[in-house]
Amino acid sequence: MRDNIFTELYNKLLGFFRQAEEEESAKDVACNRLRVVLMQDRTNLTPQLLEKMRGELVELLSKYLEMDKDALELNLEQEGDQMALMLSIPVIRAKDEEEIEKALAEEESKETELESTEQETTEESQEESQEKSGEESQEESEEIIEDSIKENIIEDNLEKDKTIKKVKKFPDKEICGECRECELSDDIECEKKNPKKKE
Amino acid sequence: MSGRVIVITSGKGGVGKTTASANIGTALAKLGNKVVMIDTDLGLRNLDLLLGLENRIVYTIVDVVEERCKLKQALVKDKKNPNLCLLAAAQTRDKSAVTEEQLKEICEKLKEDYDYILVDCPAGIEQGFQNAVAGATEAIVVTTPEMSAVRDADRIIGLLEAKEEIESYRLLLNRVRPNLIKSKDMMSVEDVVEILSADLIGIIPEDTGIITSTNKGEPIVNDEKSLAGRAYTNVAKRILGEEVEFINLEEETSVVAKVKKFFKGLMVKEK
Repeated sequence: MRDNIFTELYNKLLGFFRQAEEEESAKDVACNRLRVVLMQDRTNLTPQLLEKMRGELVELLSKYLEMDKDALELNLEQEGDQMALMLSIPVIRAKDEEEIEKALAEEESKETELESTEQETTEESQEESQEKSGEESQEESEEIIEDSIKENIIEDNLEKDKTIKKVKKFPDKEICGECRECELSDDIECEKKNPKKKE
Repeated sequence: MSGRVIVITSGKGGVGKTTASANIGTALAKLGNKVVMIDTDLGLRNLDLLLGLENRIVYTIVDVVEERCKLKQALVKDKKNPNLCLLAAAQTRDKSAVTEEQLKEICEKLKEDYDYILVDCPAGIEQGFQNAVAGATEAIVVTTPEMSAVRDADRIIGLLEAKEEIESYRLLLNRVRPNLIKSKDMMSVEDVVEILSADLIGIIPEDTGIITSTNKGEPIVNDEKSLAGRAYTNVAKRILGEEVEFINLEEETSVVAKVKKFFKGLMVKEK
C-alpha cells in the first residue's frame, strides 16, 4: 500500500514538472501564431500556396541532395525592412555526380516525353479532323483564316491608334491635315493653300 | 509658425487612441506648446468627454466645413490650460460629412497658429481613417500586447507606409501588464516591437487610474504620481525630441514598490 502511494505521488510530481516543461507559454504561442498570420497578411501567400511552394522546392532540390523532406522548414521572416525567405533543410547526404546526372537526365527524358505526348495528341487531333468529312474541315479552315484576318485587322487598328496618338502628342506644325503631299512639296505653297481652304 | 500634424491611429478599436490623444495633447500643452486636438471620429465623438469639455462645445468640425462658423470659433479652450484646444467631431453626422481635402485644409490653417495638431483617428481602415491621415505628416500607431491589436497595427503600418505624406510613424504600446509579461502570459514589449519592426515612442502600463480619470474628465497626465501619467509625459517629451528612458515597469509595479506606495499613502492620510 505504502509503495503504491509513494509511486503515485512520485508519478504525479513527475507529470507536473514535465507538463510545466513541455507546455509552451501563452506568450510564445501568441508570437508564433502572429508571425505566421502577419506573413500571410503581408504576402498574400495562403497556407495552400506555401505548401505548394514547399513541394516544388523539394522536387527541385532533391535532384542535387538527399534530404529529409518532412523536416523541411519554410518560413518568411521579417528583418527590419527586408523580408527574407528562410529555408532550412536537413541534408542526409550529398549526392554523387553520377546520381545528379542521372536525376537530371531523367528529368530531361520526362520533359521530352511530355513534349512528344503533346505532339502526339496534337497529331491525333489533326488526324481526327482530317478524318471528318472534307466540307467540314474546309469550313473550319476557312473560319480559322477569317479569325486570323480579323486579328490582323485588329492589330493594324491598334498600330494605327498608336500612330494617331503619337501624332496627337507631337503635332507637326505646318502640315495641313488634308494634303499629305505637301510634306514633300514646298511648305510655302501649303501655307498659302491652307487659309484659302479655310475661307 | 509651422506646426507638426500628428495622427493618432490604431486600426483596432478600444486600444486607447482617444485616451492617448487626450493625454499626449495635454502633456504637450503642459510642456509649453500650443496644441490643438481634432476629433475626426464623426458620429462617435469621445475626445470631448475625456477632456471634460463636452458641455462647452458649440460648433463642430462639420460646422467649420459647411461654413456655419469660422475655424477659430469652433476651437474649444481647455479648462486648465489655455494653450490647449479641441476641434470636436459632430455627433449627428457620419464619416462622409468631411472629405480628405477639407481636413487637409483645416490642418494647413491650424499649422499657422499652433505647434502641434493632434488628429484623433476613428477605428478601422475605411474613409474615416483616410480622412484623418490626409493632413498629417507623422503618425503614432497605438496598439496593445494582444494578437488582434498587433495584427491590426501591422495593417495600419502597411497603409501608412504606402502614404507619401507620412514621413514617420512610431509605436505606442498601451495597456502593458508587467505581471503577465513576467509570467509569460502576455507578449513582451520586445516581442511586439520585433514583430512589427517599428520604433517605439512609449510604453503605457495598464492603470486603473485611467478609468477614474476618464470618469472625471481629466487626463491622467495631470496626476503626476500615476505611472501611466508619467509615461504619457515621457511620450510628449519624446515627440519634442528629448531622449527619455523608458520607465522600468517591472520595478515600478513589483510587490515591494506597491507596499511602499501603500505606506506612503497611509502617511499622507495621517498628516
